[in-house]
Amino acid sequence: MMIHVKLIANYREALPPEAKNGVVELDVPDGTTVYEAISRFDIPLDDTSVIVLNGLTVDMSTPLKEGDMVTAFSAIAGG
Amino acid sequence: MYGWHLRILRVNLTSHKVTTEDVDPKIARDYLGGRGWAIHYLYKEMDPMADPLSPDNILIFATGPLTATPAPTGNRYMVVTKSPLTGALAHSNSGGEFPTWMKRTGFDMFIFEGKSSEPVYVFVNEDQIEVRSAAHVWGKDVHETTDILKAETSADARVACIGQAGENLALMAAIMNDKHRAAARSGVGAVMGSKNLKAVVAMGKKNPKLYDSAKMISLSVDTSKNVGADVKKGSNMRIYGTSYVPQVTNTLGILPTRNFLQGTFEGVNNIDGDALKNQYLIRHTPCYRCPLSCGRLTEVPDGPYKGKGEGPEYETISSLGTGCGVSNLAALVKANYLCNEYGMDTITTGMTIAAAMEMYEKGYISEEIIGMPLKFGDHDAMIEMIRKMAYREGFGNDLAQGSYRLAEKYGHPEIAVTTRKQEFPGYDPRGSQGMGLLYATSNKGASHMEGDVAYEEVFGVPVKENPLTTEGKPELVKHFEDSFALMDSSGLCVFVAIRYAFNKDRMILPQRLAEMMNFSTGAGYTPEEALKAAERVYNLERMFLLKAGSTEDTLPHRMLHEPLPDGPAKGKVVELDKMLPEFYKLRGWDEKGVPTKEKLEELGLPL
Repeated sequence: MMIHVKLIANYREALPPEAKNGVVELDVPDGTTVYEAISRFDIPLDDTSVIVLNGLTVDMSTPLKEGDMVTAFSAIAGG
Repeated sequence: MYGWHLRILRVNLTSHKVTTEDVDPKIARDYLGGRGWAIHYLYKEMDPMADPLSPDNILIFATGPLTATPAPTGNRYMVVTKSPLTGALAHSNSGGEFPTWMKRTGFDMFIFEGKSSEPVYVFVNEDQIEVRSAAHVWGKDVHETTDILKAETSADARVACIGQAGENLALMAAIMNDKHRAAARSGVGAVMGSKNLKAVVAMGKKNPKLYDSAKMISLSVDTSKNVGADVKKGSNMRIYGTSYVPQVTNTLGILPTRNFLQGTFEGVNNIDGDALKNQYLIRHTPCYRCPLSCGRLTEVPDGPYKGKGEGPEYETISSLGTGCGVSNLAALVKANYLCNEYGMDTITTGMTIAAAMEMYEKGYISEEIIGMPLKFGDHDAMIEMIRKMAYREGFGNDLAQGSYRLAEKYGHPEIAVTTRKQEFPGYDPRGSQGMGLLYATSNKGASHMEGDVAYEEVFGVPVKENPLTTEGKPELVKHFEDSFALMDSSGLCVFVAIRYAFNKDRMILPQRLAEMMNFSTGAGYTPEEALKAAERVYNLERMFLLKAGSTEDTLPHRMLHEPLPDGPAKGKVVELDKMLPEFYKLRGWDEKGVPTKEKLEELGLPL
């Protein structure tokens, strides 16, 4: 199934060249979880990262559906 | 004494009489410094019902015990006064260089009373204090004023001043320092203008003595190293400033778009941090002694929006940009420059124009009244409105009153997205419930800087909270409000001080911040005492607010009754009723939000 991964700001360096506006489309097996999808990228997978599914806070073991968007960014105070 | 000078400069602008006075060490300790000291004096000395633009209002510039010390970002000051925009308390924070230079005069705090009959500026070079004519800079913008006053005083001086917006009493007028830094919110620049005080120019060599210089330097170096490690890893704050945030809030569906009619913006890629970095960024411009360096010098090299200056930061992008439906980056950058030059808060400026755009599109205000079409996304009209607001020219006079009064005047109060008449910053609380409680209860009206729980709900600092739920949010908001009162009183910037306010496991005691305060002052705060002092400050601000007559903690119609139509938070409104009673209980306030006698006694506050 096809899903999207979006990386924001400094994490964009971990994206392949074909990514556009920080988004890359991936073909992943059915049952792939949020964690498995984001693990494909060289970003920290600890509490220094924020990872959301379709903009929502979810468990990292949540299985993905066709068309889902996983987004990750560095946890740092802003605003 | 250490850390604090324990000296205040008082300038009566009516008589031009200058006096100095000492601060009681017990008051100094109980109220921390900065924002805390300022509310103590404001509460003691002025009638909270006074007209904010009258000579009866008091304008306070206050540094903290960590200002002008080696503490990283120990370079902030607060402007505290009664706000003409909200009728409530104003406390606006700024960095740059002026705060350190101000404290090096040998005074912790400047108090301005009364009103000068003619435009003046106040020059403070340690004990050389002069009230000088400002006739030659009246009418000039922030940049020109700064250059002229430095040229006629000293290249070693630093300037805080108002532009045309403050002179003309526009209610979103800011006090700008070092040209580009702003004590922006709540119309503090209009208070300065109402006193005919164009500028304050400060210089000196009186660094505060430190109680334990070696430990202070060691802790500061350690903190700077931690920040440096973040930077090495590619900290967003160093690379982008806060301009990376639109992508984050857009992802969560809480990016204010078209006056909060939407929570996502289709043009976000045109105006985000990468676009700014790739097109207009020249270099980073840190505040004095800041290892983080979120400021940035930018330039639009040619075309109709040609200019050079600092910004935009996130809050400007989410107000003058997405708030107005504007996706032309060059125009947005230019709008930011103009606000800095006229001396205007970009949040209230942008969101007031956004409200006017919505009212125009709905037919509530005609093209004839405005003088031109004012559709969402019309960046040229937005730029023209900024100029009109600064000069209160034509329809600009309506805009200069802020969105609450604008919407009320034209018969549609439901359009204004404000609390206590102050415009919302860049987090739609329908998708960030804790922010909703914060905006509703904030003593200064809607502001993220009153206790920015977006750190947890949005940015995952120190831990990620689900922004769509209400559970635990009252406790979170209370802790952030008290922590921000502590940080604002200390003289540090919250971007770094937040490291001291929490540990990773969200241990809620400000252990390191208390240590740093002690190395500076020798006051011997325990973390509990420091947090308790911050709670004292917060409650006294509440008492000022109540006496000023602003009593209702609520949210505007759109936030309570119009569900978000798009994005991850689609269908949500702010569930304020689920949070407010618990919040009052945790605060020790009654069901109307009034501190109880027991709470006031516990904090040692006047009944």
